[in-house]
Amino acid sequence: MNAAEMAKAVREAKISAVEIAEGAIGRIRLIDSDVRALLTPLFERALEKAEEIDRKIELKQDPGPLAGVPVIVKDNLCMRGQVTTCGSRMLENWRPPYDASVVRFLEEAGAVILGKANMDEFAMGSSTENSAFFPTANPWDLERVPGGSSGGSAAAVACGYVPLALGSDTGGSIRQPAAFCGVYGLKPTYGLVSRFGLVAFASSLDQVGPFARSVEDLALAMNVLSKPDPADATSSWTTRPDYAAFLGRENLKGMKVGLVSEFEDYPVQSEITEALARVESILREAGAEFVPVSLPTTIEAGLPCYYILAPAEASSNLARYDGVRYGLSAEAESLMDLYMKTRGLGFGPEVKRRILTGTYVLSSGYYDAYYLVAQKARIRISREFRSAFEGADMILMPTTPTLPFRKGEHQDDPIQMYLSDVFTLPVNLAGLPGLSLNAGYSKSGLPVGVQFVGPKWGEGTLLAAAEAVERVLGKPTCAFGGEKA
Amino acid sequence: MPIGKDEILRIANLARLFVSEEEIGPLQRHLNGILEHFERLKELDLEGIDPFAFECDTAGSSRQDAVSVWPGREDVLAQAPNREGDFFRVPRILDESDEVHLDECR
Repeated sequence: MNAAEMAKAVREAKISAVEIAEGAIGRIRLIDSDVRALLTPLFERALEKAEEIDRKIELKQDPGPLAGVPVIVKDNLCMRGQVTTCGSRMLENWRPPYDASVVRFLEEAGAVILGKANMDEFAMGSSTENSAFFPTANPWDLERVPGGSSGGSAAAVACGYVPLALGSDTGGSIRQPAAFCGVYGLKPTYGLVSRFGLVAFASSLDQVGPFARSVEDLALAMNVLSKPDPADATSSWTTRPDYAAFLGRENLKGMKVGLVSEFEDYPVQSEITEALARVESILREAGAEFVPVSLPTTIEAGLPCYYILAPAEASSNLARYDGVRYGLSAEAESLMDLYMKTRGLGFGPEVKRRILTGTYVLSSGYYDAYYLVAQKARIRISREFRSAFEGADMILMPTTPTLPFRKGEHQDDPIQMYLSDVFTLPVNLAGLPGLSLNAGYSKSGLPVGVQFVGPKWGEGTLLAAAEAVERVLGKPTCAFGGEKA
Repeated sequence: MPIGKDEILRIANLARLFVSEEEIGPLQRHLNGILEHFERLKELDLEGIDPFAFECDTAGSSRQDAVSVWPGREDVLAQAPNREGDFFRVPRILDESDEVHLDECR
């Protein structure tokens, strides 16, 4: 059952929310000792919440559009009173005094949160190997990575623990793990989903979004998540459409899909090129028209631009971890000593790299040469996308240049790791929506993903196109067999 | 010019981040790698782009300056690693030489 079917069954009292939660918990207990998608299970709390949903049903009240749907949220989303580690020793015992708005939206809609998902520390990474606690495995090959930084959320959906999970995407952290785990992952337009209560990494790039195994569930999740939020100053007050209304289109006649001319020469694994061709022919068959578009500097400039701007923002955002108000605090003789030791002990290698890179590019004498140039490049990339969308409704492109890589493969070479996000991070720089969908499997059984990118507020087009592909290729299947929760 | 060991230590100090002797080499290599990658940006034509003219069509509306419900002070203070009553406790901020200086001021 997908989330929509589950909520319907619960609302019609055909199955109880407790039964669904127990089923999901059972599957987690069966599989998660191998995959390790979950950092913090919240089973007792979940069963209590499920009982509340069932009571509402008995009283003929409506628990909401996600009634009894089990979900897992990335561990950088605050839940009041529940440990929220962000995958870091720094926050190992931190219990936020408030809920993230998206957590509140989920629970108000009747969802049952089963646990917090593993992630790269402070969402910095592309493999979930940077979690301070343990790595998560790719459900399709335990020797490989699930992608990152939302690797735990993607793996949880791929394993069939839950039909929906939340992640966050600063440079590809939803779409890349979605591709690696063979599920859908949607990074919404910047400002569409509230960031309040999302532990900040790079505030001008961060965005929360859903993982799912059906397009219908993505639309359902977006209807719940995309609300204006006065607590987030960058939350847009644009009126949201009903995302479900974009589904059920008979064909894609009139839709123009862009193919980026400059991407043709970029080295991409052959399975991914084949998947792109497969999706192209499905969309053509459905009536879409293909047009060439140009993003002349995006692929070259995106990576260096991102790796200046994101660390710059991170170095500023992570200055709050000082050992004084919350989180880890080292034994120290002086205040300076407290700062230095707390941060030296609490942060892992990748977080340190990014803080130092960010501090460097913002420091006196280097700001103009690095930060300002990168900021200009970012604007240029945004404009390139905007021109491209003058002639196209969406763009079809790879999510990643490679299939899931082996654990440890890029651990000694951070720049190789960064290249994993070369097709996703320009989308964040431009603040656009991006959807990664499964488009089949390699000979060795690894999922192959492709990406749809839209103009701002273009989520509906991406969902409609994804649905057309789903009709032909089917919904993504669960690893370890069976269509479970 | 590649970043040397002293520069790493200078940045680490600015970031208030203790870096061990073993960490310096890898950090140096990484930072130099990123900056090398960055050279590509300098080849771009960025003439006439105002770095602060970011197109922002996502601007939120302003909200009422009204008091809203927020977790109590105790919820926040309960997370303090080291507290004394309603205060966060920190190690001494001034070292002895500062105190001498302060005495002189008095």
